[in-house]
Amino acid sequence: MAKQSPLSTFVKRNRGLVVVIVLLFALLIFGSFISDRFRTTSNILNVFEQSSGLALVSLGQTLAILTGGIDMSVGSMISLLSLLTSGLMNGDPAMILPVTAGIILLGCMIGAINGIGIVMLRIHPLIVTLGMGAVLQGIALLYSLGPAGKAPPGFKFLAYGKVLGLPVSALFVIALFILVALFLRYARLGRYIYAVGDDQAGARLMGLPRSGVIIFVYTVSGFCCALMAIYLVSRFGVGQPYTGVNYTLASITPVVVGGTLLAGGRGGVMGTLFGAYLISLINNVLNFMDVSTHYQLIAQGLIVIAAVSIYVEKRKRI
Amino acid sequence: MLKLSNISKSFPGVRALSGIDLEIRAGEIHALVGENGAGKSTMIKIVAGAYQPDSGDIEYDGARLHNITPASAKKAGIHVIYQEFVLFPHLTVAENIYIGHERRGKLGLVDHRQTRRDAAELLKRLGVEIDPDQLVTDLTVADQQMVEIAKALVHKVKLLILDEPTAVISGREADLLFARLKALRQEGVAIVYVSHRLEEIFQIADRVTVFKDGERVTTADISSVDRNKLISLMVGRDLKDIFPPKRARADTGKVVLKAENVTVNGRVRNASIELRAGEITGLAGMVGAGRTELAMGIFGGLPMSSGTVTIDGQPISHMTPAVAIAKGIGFVTEDRKSQGLAMQLDVAANVTAASLIEITRNGLIDHGAEDAIAHQEIAKYKIACRGPATPVATMSGGNQQKVIVARWARTNPRVLILDEPTRGVDVGAKTEIYKIMNELALQGMAILMISSELPEIIGMSDRVVVMREGVVSGELTGAGINEQAIMSLATQHMAA
Repeated sequence: MAKQSPLSTFVKRNRGLVVVIVLLFALLIFGSFISDRFRTTSNILNVFEQSSGLALVSLGQTLAILTGGIDMSVGSMISLLSLLTSGLMNGDPAMILPVTAGIILLGCMIGAINGIGIVMLRIHPLIVTLGMGAVLQGIALLYSLGPAGKAPPGFKFLAYGKVLGLPVSALFVIALFILVALFLRYARLGRYIYAVGDDQAGARLMGLPRSGVIIFVYTVSGFCCALMAIYLVSRFGVGQPYTGVNYTLASITPVVVGGTLLAGGRGGVMGTLFGAYLISLINNVLNFMDVSTHYQLIAQGLIVIAAVSIYVEKRKRI
Repeated sequence: MLKLSNISKSFPGVRALSGIDLEIRAGEIHALVGENGAGKSTMIKIVAGAYQPDSGDIEYDGARLHNITPASAKKAGIHVIYQEFVLFPHLTVAENIYIGHERRGKLGLVDHRQTRRDAAELLKRLGVEIDPDQLVTDLTVADQQMVEIAKALVHKVKLLILDEPTAVISGREADLLFARLKALRQEGVAIVYVSHRLEEIFQIADRVTVFKDGERVTTADISSVDRNKLISLMVGRDLKDIFPPKRARADTGKVVLKAENVTVNGRVRNASIELRAGEITGLAGMVGAGRTELAMGIFGGLPMSSGTVTIDGQPISHMTPAVAIAKGIGFVTEDRKSQGLAMQLDVAANVTAASLIEITRNGLIDHGAEDAIAHQEIAKYKIACRGPATPVATMSGGNQQKVIVARWARTNPRVLILDEPTRGVDVGAKTEIYKIMNELALQGMAILMISSELPEIIGMSDRVVVMREGVVSGELTGAGINEQAIMSLATQHMAA
């Protein structure tokens, strides 16, 4: 029996993280050859900042996917919550705190309903969250067919503010990722998230709180969507009924690029964070190469498929 | 300790348990025996809270239990080691052992170092060398079984239930397990032990309960019964009737398939084997000796890194399952649920799956013809089911196995490979499968039977090839086929 070091076990479990970091550096070097402007601090900081929104949505998505599920309602949820945020604030600074708190609570509630639906109805998460997404999109359009309300002055700070020259939103997102990573490693609930994704039936037979785990991860996903909605309102100054529409697929990309198995049970959030950086950096490099955004969309689709096929557990040929 | 009264449970189409009364005492090892489908596993799952009984009372530790769930059963000190492991493949050994009982330090956070240390300690106490940092998916099946056993020792259990714990472990590990069980008995733990291996039961059990067709036949002190008595209680017939008499062998059949110097990626090295028409070749060896891998290599299911396969003297350059089937090789896999049957489909669809061409008219499936064939095969192999439309998922293991054998036999293969053909099959159905194998051999088919059950190898084979650690360690024929000879070939250097 070969003794395994904890390090090799770590690498084995986090292949994705290692691969993504290597790719990230390779791309940084490649980008430097493409353009002088690419290497500038301001460009790198720009990418850093642009990635934070994507990373945020993907954080909740990672937990859902770790349990073997998926959250397809994130796009519509972001749209609805962003509309409500700017609509309810409507330029009034006094409303910043209550509305922010209310939106976060609402996001958590919608997520919890997703989780409860999955547990109680015993329906695949894909269907429950797709259905929820349609419902939320409908509500958003009933609320407003176009941009609604506006962000109060000073609200821009969340998206554009800087601390020690670094974007405050990006720093916040990093802190949140580290917190969740520690949670996954050191909290019992974190361990159970992996267990549920690894073997659902087994988790039940072991008496693990499977329902609680599932409700928890979708609640976290709802929480992340709420933060994203608030961030987008801060960034664009207003909420719109379709502002989140692209994030459903987009939120899955960093997760799978970061090495989390779609089947669940394996992976982690740090892979997702660097996956989000990688995606943003790819788009940035393509920009410098004068590739149109349409091709960027094509690239993203291909990257998802490639990532999943690389990390998928190769079944033994039978 | 545990008292079941009048427990009944039905599944769609099957009455799994009817009116079971059973009492398990603290400080005893209570063996449960019975054919597959007799209801042992269902009973265990009811006690563990995985199934709810339709009726009946469960009294445990002096109190009546209602609506048991897996979580509440665990809390009450009931621990079950299931036949299908409940392990999380991508967690480490240590994490699996303490799942649900995480070692925690300050702030209630998981203490990884403590978990590792305690797990290492526990495994050492159990007498096995398993690295607590390994992922469970990387362990051998035998080591996974030992991890399952270690899990049971983590916390105070009052009732320990083991379902076929020795199916995948070898003698030394089984002895470690038995020593542990005896120690637990000393501490007053009630132990329920399910096994097909009757020798074990006489070795460790205090009392034994026999199940048959969902009913409890009897409970007796182990000293008051013997092996033959138990078997006749389980089956209602004598042991000597299990194996059909050996066929009058066709002298030396022609070699149909010849595999030379087959090497399969670290699992099999330079193995050669010949299969002859009309002969049953037994492939024996310990679990993990590379038997399935050799057969899969020949069949093209696993890539061969070197070696040649010739059929009727014709070398096959690139073997794949499709080529193998076209050349007349059939393969009845070990795991019929995931690699054999379409569980949700019915008997007719499963029987005709490998010979669809014969019921295809103008490119469409002729369901009338399919039905007719299914009726024919059901009668021929005495498949117990309600008809061709019975979903195979609702049938017993033995009948499922007959469905697969029927499927391959329809293709008239020259060579039929059977991997553990009677695993999870009750004694009655075993005999029928043996008879079918004999008939097929008489028709001139070359049969390769992989089996871990020595009586089966000895009772059925004309020739026995023994593997050990990936190599062929010997071949036995005629009177040379006996338990000692096979065991010594299977274990030669392992004892050292």
